[in-house]
This record gives sequence, C-alpha cells and structure tokens, in this order.
Amino acid sequence: MKSQTKNYDVCIIGSGAGGSPIAYELSKAGFNVVVLEKGKYYTESDISKDELAVSRREMFTPMLKDEQHVINDRENEKVTRYVGSEYNWSFWNGSMVGGSSNLMSGYFHRMKPKDFKLKSTYGEIEGSNIVDWAISYDELEPYYEKVERIIGVSGKVSKHKFLEPRSTTKFPYESLEVNGITKWFDKACKTLGYESFATPRAILPKNDLGRKGCSYSNFCGSYACATGAKGSARAALLQKCNAKIITEAFVYKLESNKSKITKVYYYDKDLNSHSIKAKIFVLSAQAIESSRLLLNSKNSFFPDGIANNSGQVGKNLIFSAGGSGEGRFRFENLTKQQQQELMQAGLFVNRSMQEYEYEEKGKKYKGGTIDFLFEHANIISRASKELYDDNANIMWGKSLQDKIQKNLTTSRVLTFEVFNDWLPTDYCNVSIDEEVKDKYGVNVGAINLYSHPHDLEVGKHLAKNAIDVLNKMGAEDVLVNISASPPPNLVAGGCRFGDDPKTSVLDKNCKAHELENLYVTDASFMPTGGSVPYTWTIYANSFRVADVIKNSF
Amino acid sequence: MNLNSRRRFIQAGFAGSVVLIAINSKLFGGVSVLETVFVLQEDLFPQSTGVPTKKQINAKSYLSLILNHPRVTDSDKKFIKNGIRWLNEEAVDKYKKIYIRLTPSQRQDILNEISLTSWGEDFIADILKYIFEAMLGDPIYGINKDESGWKWLNHRPGLPRPKVTYL
Repeated sequence: MKSQTKNYDVCIIGSGAGGSPIAYELSKAGFNVVVLEKGKYYTESDISKDELAVSRREMFTPMLKDEQHVINDRENEKVTRYVGSEYNWSFWNGSMVGGSSNLMSGYFHRMKPKDFKLKSTYGEIEGSNIVDWAISYDELEPYYEKVERIIGVSGKVSKHKFLEPRSTTKFPYESLEVNGITKWFDKACKTLGYESFATPRAILPKNDLGRKGCSYSNFCGSYACATGAKGSARAALLQKCNAKIITEAFVYKLESNKSKITKVYYYDKDLNSHSIKAKIFVLSAQAIESSRLLLNSKNSFFPDGIANNSGQVGKNLIFSAGGSGEGRFRFENLTKQQQQELMQAGLFVNRSMQEYEYEEKGKKYKGGTIDFLFEHANIISRASKELYDDNANIMWGKSLQDKIQKNLTTSRVLTFEVFNDWLPTDYCNVSIDEEVKDKYGVNVGAINLYSHPHDLEVGKHLAKNAIDVLNKMGAEDVLVNISASPPPNLVAGGCRFGDDPKTSVLDKNCKAHELENLYVTDASFMPTGGSVPYTWTIYANSFRVADVIKNSF
Repeated sequence: MNLNSRRRFIQAGFAGSVVLIAINSKLFGGVSVLETVFVLQEDLFPQSTGVPTKKQINAKSYLSLILNHPRVTDSDKKFIKNGIRWLNEEAVDKYKKIYIRLTPSQRQDILNEISLTSWGEDFIADILKYIFEAMLGDPIYGINKDESGWKWLNHRPGLPRPKVTYL
C-alpha cells in the first residue's frame, strides 16, 4: 500500500548525532524539516536501568534474524564469511530516536590539528589509504565549541603536552563528581611523570539547557539517560526543536535524476511503503547503513548506486583501533577508608591520558588516547565474568559462589580503553551481500573487515602506559587486550570527503560531489578517525554542515 | 511479560518440551527439559548460607519464560535442548539412568566429565548465566525475590528501576 508523497524543505534519514544538529538548526531557522528514524521514540520517562532488557536482551537493537550484516573477515590473506545471525555477530548500536548517542558514555575528546593532516605530518604507511582532511582543525574548532554549549560538555581544561588549541579557556560546565580512586590515579601518574587530565564528558553536572543534571545512577554507558543529563541527540537537540520525527520508518531507497535526489522511500512498521520529497536530503544512518542505502539505490544515472559513479561509496571503512585492559583493587590491600572510597557507587573516574605522538628508532608515530573508568556496574555481567578459575576451567557450586561473593563485594575493577587510528585500507569497506536479505526484503550490508598490522603496534605501545599506572596504583590481576576486533559503536568512513571527486564521495561540505541536494553527515565522511571516540567530531561537523545548508537556501 | 502473571506457563514450546535420549541409536526414553534444568540449578548453584534460595531466584520459572522469548535465538534454544540431551546420554551411558534420577554425587561426576568437553563447558556456562539472570535481574520479572541476589552482593541497582516489563 502506498501513501501520498509529502513535501518538506529538508528530509533527514537517521536521528543520531549526525542528523540531529541539522534538524535542530534548520527547524529553528524556520525550515520545514522531517527526520526518518528506524527505531522507536523513548523519552526520559520510558527509560530504566533494566539490565535484562537493555543489556542481556538488547532491546534497543534489531534482532539479527530480522536485520543483520554479513561479515567477510580478512586475516592472513584469507577471507572468511560470517552471516551475522548465525554467529551472533552484531554491528547494530542504537535503533531509537537519537540513535546510539543515547547509549554512549559521553567520553568527549576533540581531534587534534595533526589529525586533519595525518598524511602530510607522518607520511604514508604502506598498505593504507591515509589522506589529509578537506578541512582544518581551525575550521572545525568553532563548532567543537558550539557543541560544548548546545550539547553540554563538562570538564576542566588542564594544560598537557597534547592539549588542542581552544577558542575558550574553560568548558561551560564544571567536571562531574569523581570517586576517591581518582586521587590514587593522580598520585600514581605524578610519581610516574605521566600527564593525565579530567575526561571531558557530554554530561551536565547540574540542571541546565532545560535538562536535569546527572543523578550519578551508576549506569551510564550502554543505557539511555533518565534525567536528560547525557547529551544525546534526542535530549539535547530533537526534544528542543520542532522538526517532525517519523519513527519506525526504514528508508530502503533513494530516487534521483542525474543531479538531484527526488524522493526517499521508506517502510513503516507494517511494511507499508511511503515516500517523501524534499529540497535537501541528509543521510545519517550511521556509517555502514548509509553506504548500504546508497549502494542499494541504483538507477540509470547511478548504475552502481547513488553518488557512486566514482566507485568510492563504501570504501575506506574505519573503526577505532586499540582495545582495553583492567586491574583489580582488593580490600586486603587497602585501608578502611580506601575500601569505602573504592566502593562509592555512581561517581566517575573521569581520567584520561594522551600520548598523541611518540618516537621509536628516530621516527615519529601518531599515538592516541586512553580513558579510565570503572568496570560497568551491570551485575549479571560481572557475576558471569567469574565463571572460570585461574586455569580457565569452568566453575560451579560453592566454590563459584564464594568467588563471586568475594570478588564482587570486596574488590573493584578499574578498566581502561585505548583509542588509536584504524588505518583506512583497500580491504576494509562496505558492499552489498548478494544473498542475505533483511525482513524488509532488502539486501543486507556486507562488512569487509581488515585491520592494518600497524594499528596493533600503536595500541600495544599506548597500553604500556596504562599498565604502568595500574601497577603503580597497586592493582592486581592486570590484563590487557589489544586486538583487531572492530568496535561496532566506533565506526566511520565509507563516504569520505575530499576535494577530488575521483577519490572521494563528498565535497568538503559533505555534499555528494555528484548530486546538488544530498549531504551525508554521520561519521561516513571521515577519511581518518583520529584517536578519540567520534561523537564530538560528528556533532561538530554536523553543526558546520547545518550552516552550509542554511546558507544554500 | 511478568512471571507474577502465570499465563506464559501455559504456552507450549520450550517450557513443556521433552527431549528424546538415544544410546547406541536405540531410544532410551524422554526427559523433561525444565525438570532437568531444575535439578541442574541445585547442582550448579546449590543452597548454602547467605546465598539466595531457589525460591527467591525462581530460575525454573524464569527459564520457562526466557527460553520461549523471541530475543533468545533459535540456535541458543537448540543448544540448551541439545545440551540436556547430551547430558542425559552421558548419565545413561555411565549409570543407566537419566540425569535427574542420579544421586547428587553421581550428578557431580557427570558434570565433571562434561565440563572437560567443549559443549559441556559451554552448556554449564549458559545454564549458570540464566541462573544469574534470574538471581540478579529486576524483581519486576518475578525473580530475584526480596532483592535477595542484590543484597547478597551488596549491589545497588541503577535508577530508575523498570516500571513495566520488557521480557
């Protein structure tokens, strides 16, 4: 059944961090804006910290039997095909209004000036497709600052070797409250001569911007925020503007003539097809799905997919390289006061270290960022981590019960996450799987995976500093896992921007080279990812593009 | 769905299912999936001082809910059923009785044996994870009664707690 086509000034596909700044800015400027979102609309009153629903049964992502990806994993020149539903391998993040920004931890770091010119600063790396960005840090800086005010970023500017230039001296919000362990962390860093700083967070420490401040619920990452303190695209932007949001709307095709997108088609939850016309179309369905939609939208003008006459759509997909590690602090090594400090629930660790550049054998290398945080408070996950003994044998019975009780009530785990560049290569990209279709009958995206060996080397180098700190703090059972596993929530590329239409999909303003009215504003545009989580940069770039679109009318 | 309402129990499917045991290609008999899981809970997570009781955890009821749930994949459900079949085949092979008819020490012996196999290790881990879900999930689902699991581990749940059930 087809309904009547509706007309708008701007049609945005995807309501996450890439699309929402456009919706916010353009609707506030008086334009008629519609946002198509595949997921449901959950507001603060719907949100709870239900571990069974959110984390165990993953209520905010599609079931893989309905929607999935095929993963072609390349290792040692051999490619292995994994159908996502058969291997329970999911690349979904948050199908809901506001997208995965609802579920982020809000660790906000800006990229550095050198991230924008990686190739000209550090040179080529064999087997990778590094390029400089089409814009400079200076062009994006005003928008990083804008995000601090509009989304709400809390933190403290402290000088360190790799602090990026700022147009303001302070964050608009003070740092969040921290746990007592932060004092131990700072002391260890000072002893070791390592610089650390308070992690900027997209979380309001107090009521402001029409939102409530943080309640320190102890369940931040992976969960939506029930106070609105977290700067999700929903809480910070979509709930503050009058853009029309159509939920449970899966966009399956873009229609175009030679130079313009003319319509988008979407299915509602009952699989009825609808279409929308607009003057401007903005694609922001998260990197993999944005490339998939373009590749699946073929016509006589674009036989290989919309905006893909260059053959560049889907190419140079990147994730965040690095990994994680942890150390355990046990009561038996602590004073009574330290024990109490350690077990304070809800307060953050909020400490980061950056070794953004380092030298080995006379050559300079791009490094990265390490964030420190407590192990997630999810109690079922923490109990499940205790299932194996020191020899990796499964445990049960009284011995397991004793281990769970001891570890969960008289110790706590401090973890760290390493972020460094996932180098773009010819082997890591998005294509269309010719066999597997989703519940809408549309061919699913194929994720062709490959991690450049250089990524692992950098990750291992960075992790050494984190291990030093944990050891100095007196942690036990220190572990580190730097791997080539792609984190599904840190994905970018596929429609890189650039000045040359032969080697890029988008121009410097994230408009498709080949189309007059199509912009892509999720992380797809990023040719390299920096060594930080992407969300702040996605927000900032989307605010930048919003200004471009406003001026184009 | 809430376990406090018992409608879900009536549903056919995993809750009422029986798996057939064959030894040397010869049919030995059928065993109830849930009865086996119930005894497994006692063996894997026994009653002991301070630990939540079987009644408080309510794992049997939880499993009958969760193993019919669309968000538990068919392959996960199949693996639990297969695990129960293989567990019983081990029991019959060694002691000529199905698992729930064995003595506690015989059952531990079988668990020790299967834990050395890849499937057995995964099966024990899966059952324990479902027990943990029942012991430590929100009481709104009719599990973790009196918040006994949270109290046992001094766990402060995240707020707000769910006001409606999702499962």
